[in-house]
Amino acid sequence: MPPGGVDVTERSVASLVTAAAAGDESAWAELVRRYTPLVYSVIRSCGVNGADASDVNQTVWLRLVEHLGRVRDPQALAAWLATTTRRECYRLTRLGRRTQLVDPYDEALDTYHGFSRTADAAGPDEELLRAERRQALREGFAQLPPRCQELLSLLTADPPPSYREIAERLGVPIGSIGPTQARCLRRLRECPALAPFLTVSVTRPNGGDRDGAVAAGR
Amino acid sequence: MEPWPPADDDALTAELSAALREAGPVPEDYLAAAWAAFAWRNVAAEIALAELVFDSACDAEPAGLTRSAGSARTLSFHSGAVVLEIEVTEAGIVGQLSPPEGGRVSAQTAAGTYDEAPVDEVGFFSLGVPPPGPVRLRAQANGYAVATTWVSLR
Repeated sequence: MPPGGVDVTERSVASLVTAAAAGDESAWAELVRRYTPLVYSVIRSCGVNGADASDVNQTVWLRLVEHLGRVRDPQALAAWLATTTRRECYRLTRLGRRTQLVDPYDEALDTYHGFSRTADAAGPDEELLRAERRQALREGFAQLPPRCQELLSLLTADPPPSYREIAERLGVPIGSIGPTQARCLRRLRECPALAPFLTVSVTRPNGGDRDGAVAAGR
Repeated sequence: MEPWPPADDDALTAELSAALREAGPVPEDYLAAAWAAFAWRNVAAEIALAELVFDSACDAEPAGLTRSAGSARTLSFHSGAVVLEIEVTEAGIVGQLSPPEGGRVSAQTAAGTYDEAPVDEVGFFSLGVPPPGPVRLRAQANGYAVATTWVSLR
């Protein structure tokens, strides 16, 4: 971290867009780091592959460069990238030059996509929504305080270490882990990055007692 | 629809876990192409952008408009009063720039300029077959300059 400054990985999308538009390469690199997984997962979800898929990726990032000075709502950047990616995928499938149109439910694709679709065969819109939500989670995570990031990284590791190991590694009492996890997740839920994807439940979840419930549950 | 994000902490932790794990395997060449795109920032900042407003490959033909028959793909780019229309065939690109004020048109891939041609007195120009991948046209007329948005032409 630069002395007195903010680590680039903790900067808001708005400040990254502004800095990149002014020529800051590290801000651009951070935008690339944060958003290539989204662009990539949208490309995979629309059934474009090979050279066409690379071309879509390249087109989207060239478009973002020409678009940098015109991003009106940086919080909507993820949605803009997803929409642009989907549109360019569609353009290339219509050109039909190298892409074979694929049946998204073809099981042979599972290997290519790296996951199985047979368990829940979601439509393209649902796939897109999920990709955007996962991106929102990554974005929200990137904006959490380092302590939360550290703890959640350990808790989401595969396999997760025991509470004892986590407590030792972070130098905190075991009893504080549950409540801290709950607090960090609450910050994640309240993060602006998630706001565009919020769906409100009919019965309001009882969020008041979570700290205690989670602490007791593990 | 299920409420999102999940109110349950374990469910949210599991979703976060999937999201963070998924972020890993973006191919290196995708990252490299995304980084390299930044080299075009100066062009983007200095020249008016002509947006793609029509592409016969994926937009519905505007009503009442008759275009040349055949397999030609037509695209239309607008920047204020400047209009750049092109027709892409296996023989290459023919286009018209309006208003016609002479000048030159160059064609670029992300790697640089691959062709350029003069614009005649009525605004016509022709260029070679575009390579695959995103391409942009840059027009320098006597009274104005525009660059089109990036788009794959074939």
